[in-house]
Amino acid sequence: MEIPYVVESRKDTGLNNSKIGIWLFLASEVMLFGGLFSGYVFLRIYADYPWPERTLPVLPGLINTFVLIGSSVTVVFAWVSLKLGQWRKFQVYMAITVICAALFMVLKAVEYSAKFHHQAISMSDYTIIEGHAHPQGGSHEYGAPTKNLNINADSVQINLRRVDDIYYEEMGEQYTKGGFVLANDVALNGGNVLAKGTPISKEIIDQAKEDFLAAVAHNSEIDIELGRRAWAETKARFPGKKYYEVVEAGKTLNQLAAAQIKKLEAQRKDDYRSVTANLTFVSASGSALITVNPYWGKLSNPKEGEKGTLQLKDETLVSGTTADSSIAIAVDGIDFRHTVMKAEEKGIDPAAAVANSWLLKDEQMKLIWDKHQLITAKLAEKLKAKDREPTENDIYRINWQEIAGLMDKDLATLEGMEYEDILALYPGDIEGFAGPKHKKHGDPNSSGVVYPEVVVPRERVRFESLFSPRWNTYYATYFTITGLHGLHVVAGAIVLAYYLFFGRKMYEEKPEWLANRVEVGGLFWHFVDLVWIFLFPILYLM
Amino acid sequence: MADSPEAIKKHIKLYLLIGVILFICTVLTVAVAKLEFLDFGERGFDHVDATIGLIIATFKATLVALIFMHLNHEKTLIYWLFGFGLFFGFCLMALFGFAFADPIEFKAFFGR
Repeated sequence: MEIPYVVESRKDTGLNNSKIGIWLFLASEVMLFGGLFSGYVFLRIYADYPWPERTLPVLPGLINTFVLIGSSVTVVFAWVSLKLGQWRKFQVYMAITVICAALFMVLKAVEYSAKFHHQAISMSDYTIIEGHAHPQGGSHEYGAPTKNLNINADSVQINLRRVDDIYYEEMGEQYTKGGFVLANDVALNGGNVLAKGTPISKEIIDQAKEDFLAAVAHNSEIDIELGRRAWAETKARFPGKKYYEVVEAGKTLNQLAAAQIKKLEAQRKDDYRSVTANLTFVSASGSALITVNPYWGKLSNPKEGEKGTLQLKDETLVSGTTADSSIAIAVDGIDFRHTVMKAEEKGIDPAAAVANSWLLKDEQMKLIWDKHQLITAKLAEKLKAKDREPTENDIYRINWQEIAGLMDKDLATLEGMEYEDILALYPGDIEGFAGPKHKKHGDPNSSGVVYPEVVVPRERVRFESLFSPRWNTYYATYFTITGLHGLHVVAGAIVLAYYLFFGRKMYEEKPEWLANRVEVGGLFWHFVDLVWIFLFPILYLM
Repeated sequence: MADSPEAIKKHIKLYLLIGVILFICTVLTVAVAKLEFLDFGERGFDHVDATIGLIIATFKATLVALIFMHLNHEKTLIYWLFGFGLFFGFCLMALFGFAFADPIEFKAFFGR
């Protein structure tokens, strides 16, 4: 089929169809990204926590901006080359464009990877600690659980209505290893009995669940039938009356029907099946350690050595004594801004709130804070001459550059130094290209810094997360918008690469067609660049 | 649009110049955010920095749209299409603002 007006213009619009098509698409894209930007702006304005401004490493974002601008120039030159009939030049310019797209995505992957390997803890006093978390035992093996919830469980209660295969698959092996057995006989409908002492298994849970669901369905049918009967009988006594009308002794038809249902309830009991909603298992050996990623559930009492229950999201209850569920974290960032904000809300002196925070009970952390206060004082002195003051960020946030740069300097040394000389000790942007680099344990050749470590008891943890969309609305919007933009880069690169590798035949037969397609693809590519032009300052510099 | 080879040749230098301006503006954006002596308004990030950053970004985006995307000499229909996109983009922003607006604070607008 011949597609009309691919290259030549229509008389009514003065444009070819492909151009109208791409501009219609770009108009919809403007609205899409406009909506996302709006979401970001209002989330920021109305945020109920200190916004993490200027926390992303600038260098990868800056390089990516250069890369995209450069590719915008080369894609124009690729189109120009086609218009001038220079195939070889077209190939070169288009190849550079596609390479730029690949480079952009590589840098994005480096940036994302650094975020997904970096943790943060919001403490119960709202102090935020950033760093790398390690398992409770101190093991630094790759893939070891880093911050699990642990409980010495003596019983496991399975909720048959909610129990989920995925959760059992995650936990089942631990239950079996812990030697959990049925705590008492469970009579199933139809005469079968799950005997006390039967080891826990998916089969018996499935069997009990099936029985439970069948019993619930059977009983519901009886209830529905009973309700119908009660209504039919009541309505027959007062024909033509509506449910809300008062019909007898000041009672509505509705109320009389409800009373009739109660009367009939006595009859239904004989037909009811017995319902066992939960299966309880106990550990044959008294107790067994159950460990689970916080993603799967929560501890009712996280304090080590006290009675508590681990509640999984499928409402399985693992009861026992809470075991060590602390998080060991090598600290590369401290932020007291949220502590200060909360203190101000409660009318407490912010300085006192910070000084009394749990983190500063640790000697190493206290030293870091003392150094930071000293530096802030020097900064305030310096700014005084310019009639300026340190910001909340300056005063209450300690970044990884400061911790790494001043690690081997004591307070007395810093006291004698100028502010600028202290700043010169901080690692540069290249050393922390995508964020703080931690020295790998057990690898003496690994580059990076050994950051000071603290062990945070679980009861002090308000919320913990990787630097992923889960951490806060800033990262949620950051990943949403940059992720969507990244998908646009990939899609654009595929289209442009197609012209590069498969365009030769079209160029020889209909060069104007190829030029037209490259122009349309180029328009999309410029739009991708245009979005990044706003994304870079908004997300990285503001 | 410049479609003839002669007209296109004339534009090559302009495309290069725009590329260079975009690079310079990017460096300027970072400098304004990072360098103390270019930090206008209060110290650190504030509304002045946001305004300057967005003005530079808008200027860069305008150059890309006008020169690279050839909006400086396009047909009227394209302006309408793009204009509608922008208009509804702003409408979305207004809707977000509306969603956040507090009926207690803005009694006059929402009524009693």
